[in-house]
Amino acid sequence: MHLPPWFYFAAVTLVAWGIVGLLQKLSTNHISAESSLIWLVVGFLLLEPLFYPGQEGLHYSAWNLAWALLSGTLNALGAWALFAAMKSGGKASVVSPLTALYPLPVVVAVPFLLHESITLLQLVGIICALVAVLLLSS
Amino acid sequence: MALHQALSARWFWYSILCVLCWGAWALLSKLGSREIPPQTMQFLFTLGTLPVGIALLVARRLKLEKSAKGISYAILNGVLSGVGGLALFAAYHTNGNTSLITAATALYPMITVVLAILILRERLTFLQVIGLASAGFAIVIFSL
Repeated sequence: MHLPPWFYFAAVTLVAWGIVGLLQKLSTNHISAESSLIWLVVGFLLLEPLFYPGQEGLHYSAWNLAWALLSGTLNALGAWALFAAMKSGGKASVVSPLTALYPLPVVVAVPFLLHESITLLQLVGIICALVAVLLLSS
Repeated sequence: MALHQALSARWFWYSILCVLCWGAWALLSKLGSREIPPQTMQFLFTLGTLPVGIALLVARRLKLEKSAKGISYAILNGVLSGVGGLALFAAYHTNGNTSLITAATALYPMITVVLAILILRERLTFLQVIGLASAGFAIVIFSL
C-alpha cells in the first residue's frame, strides 16, 4: 500500500495532539485554562534551542517569515478565544464541537488562495472527518 | 429561537473567532511551509505565540496557580504540541493537499477519546462510537 508522504507526518501530529487533548483535561483539573495556555507556551519555548535556525533564518522571504510568526499568534489567539467562549457562558458540549470545525474555512479558502483542488471522494473524506470531530468533541 | 439566542450570545462570537483564528493559522502555516523548513517554522511559530502568552500573564498580574501537577501537565502539553506542530509543518512542506492535511490532523480528538477510555476509564457514548467510525472512514479515504 502506497501512502502519500504527508500521511506519515499527519499521523505523528494526530497522536501527539491526541495525547495533548488528554493532558489538557488533566492540567485544567489543577490550574485555570489561561494558566494552562501560559505554561503551554513555556513548553514550546523548551523546544526552541533544538529548532534555532541561526543565520539561515534570515534567508527566507519577509512574507513567509511573517506568515510563520503570525501563524503562532493566531493559534494562541484561537486558544484564548476558546477559553473566553467557555468563560462567557458557552457550554463545553457546544463550544468544543463548534470550534473543532476550524478546517471548514480552510477547505473553503484553499481553492481560491492556493488553487488546489480535491476529488469528490476526498470531499466525502473531509465531510466524514468534520462529522467525526463534531461527534467526538461533543 | 435557539439560533437567535446563540447569535446574540458572546460565547458564540468567541467560538467563531476561534474557528477563524485556527483556520487562518492552518492556511498561514501552509503558506510559510512552502519555503521554510519545518524546524524553522516551529521556531518562528513559538515566537509568534509569545505576545499572547505575555498578554495573558499581564492580564493575570503575573499571578499563576502553584500546582506542580497542573504546571507539569501544561508544560508537557507545550512540548507535545510542538512535536505535533513540527510534524504538521513537515506535512505541509511535502506539498500535499492542504485541505486533506488540515482535515486529517484535525481528527486528533479520536486519539484523545481512545486514551480517555484507556487511561481515565471514561465511557464511550453512542455518538462518539459513530464519530470514531466516521474518523476511521475519513482516514481510509485520505490514504487512497
